[in-house]
Amino acid sequence: MSPSAAMDSGVFKIYFVLITTMLLIAGVSIAFLRWVLKKDVGHAWASYRGWLVMIPLIMGGVFLGRIAVILGLTLVALAGFKEYARATGLYRDWTMTCVVYLGLIACGVTTFVVDPFLGVPGWYGLYAALPVYVIAAIVAVPIVRNRAAGQLQVIALAIVGFMYIGWMFGHATYLANSSWAYGYLLYLLFAVQINDVSAYVFGKCFGRHPLRSSISPNKTWEGAIGAVAVSMVLPWVLHFSFPHFGTLELLLIGLVVGVGGQLGDLSLSVIKRDIGIKDMGQTIRGHGGVLDRIDSLIYVAPLFFHLSNYYHGIY
Amino acid sequence: MQDWKYETAEDIDQSVIERLQRVPREPDLFVYSLRLIAAGLIRVWMRVYHRLTITGRENLPNNGSYVLIANHTSHLDTISILSGLPIQSLHRVFPAAAKDFFFVSVPRVAFSAVMVNALPFDRHTNIRQSLSLCTRLLDRPNTILLIFPEGTRSPTGEMSDFKPGIGYLLAGNDVPVIPCRIEGAFEALPKGRFIPSPKRVRIMIGKPRHYSHLKRGKSAVVDICNDLQNSVSALASVDSTQATSIAAPEDHV
Repeated sequence: MSPSAAMDSGVFKIYFVLITTMLLIAGVSIAFLRWVLKKDVGHAWASYRGWLVMIPLIMGGVFLGRIAVILGLTLVALAGFKEYARATGLYRDWTMTCVVYLGLIACGVTTFVVDPFLGVPGWYGLYAALPVYVIAAIVAVPIVRNRAAGQLQVIALAIVGFMYIGWMFGHATYLANSSWAYGYLLYLLFAVQINDVSAYVFGKCFGRHPLRSSISPNKTWEGAIGAVAVSMVLPWVLHFSFPHFGTLELLLIGLVVGVGGQLGDLSLSVIKRDIGIKDMGQTIRGHGGVLDRIDSLIYVAPLFFHLSNYYHGIY
Repeated sequence: MQDWKYETAEDIDQSVIERLQRVPREPDLFVYSLRLIAAGLIRVWMRVYHRLTITGRENLPNNGSYVLIANHTSHLDTISILSGLPIQSLHRVFPAAAKDFFFVSVPRVAFSAVMVNALPFDRHTNIRQSLSLCTRLLDRPNTILLIFPEGTRSPTGEMSDFKPGIGYLLAGNDVPVIPCRIEGAFEALPKGRFIPSPKRVRIMIGKPRHYSHLKRGKSAVVDICNDLQNSVSALASVDSTQATSIAAPEDHV
């Protein structure tokens, strides 16, 4: 990945045109609803403005290349963990928070460095082994400071924070090392967001039956099924992203994004509902926190990564 | 199985800028790190460029909340005083800063809140609210409030009359107040200038004064203002090397 590779990449160009066109259509639609039909579009406009900032950042990062993607997504993971730590109260424990931050940085570093045995970008062997070292460090913290009261909660929160927000999400970052980085990365980011939007639109239009009433009352079966249907079709529409994928892989990718996306969304809702908050933060205006935006990606990224890796390898 | 008790940040539903504007702010590792780095750089700059000297450090209480007051002639005043305090107290010092100047734009809010942990003090319309915020802060353990009771930077370098707000804050309040005198900051960076010149800056820290026995009222406010103003002036009238020994005594008005 590099600016010149992006200029030569048909996949990057198609996604660029596709996303820009969709952004324009969405903008015109909101303007039509607001000025012609005189509808209240406050929420949609706030969300759209968020995308107007996020999309150039994402596309700019992907255009700049591997280092920018690794750096950018590592910062996203750090920001996501910060929100999680503030929401759960873990941030009051500075030592533990610092250990997790270092673990997240280690995820970025192992993604960046060259594998000393294979000579390829990214040391996946060490990346896969990182949870061992980070959990060992997390568990050692209470021992070092000779404290037991309340430490199981702190240890558990730190491990979930590192594993879920850092390590699982880090698989999306790792895709920047792939020979098909543009296709994998852009498809993953695009498909997960389309899945989210589809669930919202289908739910709004046809939603009747609550999906998981105790977790997220606004989500419906109709929305979830509509999103899965869209996600199942998407791999065929965007087959150019991974032309080496056969029918089985396309089916599985559709399922992983369709079902995994909803589960990722709901799993963050479980955390938020248990804590008793609505959003993880207000970092992105119109979208809530960084975690609210990447909740589906956290769940889908490692599944997508291992599916691709299993059938075709990452390199 | 019992539910876990989460101690969610109180400002979870606020944007980054709103979080920086509120006081007291939730602890933030990133902000604390930046502030620490900035404090280190500022201390080096103050000591090298302005040859900052501080006398009377032993008058600062080791623990508990207290108020620091000083004459105000320059933007260097706040960072000079901060440079004179122990670095461990960095995140619990709240310099009262004019809301209408330091909290009017994103860069200024970021600078004031991150670099100096400033407290937005509304000196025009909501003085009472600002004073009650100060009182609430002082009720917290080990809080240091830095106030310039003149209310604004002196355009001439001469100390002007203290505003009554400091009197209302301290009358009947069992919090020690430490008078400080800053010299040289006006010569280094007076009002209207933007580039500081390498003039020597001196800080003299006086002995703590208490006004807990005074009943809140206009006369007490006037007495406190006069007493503090005199104690700051007294610090100016002595040689800096002897400032602590001749400073205003630790007794009541």
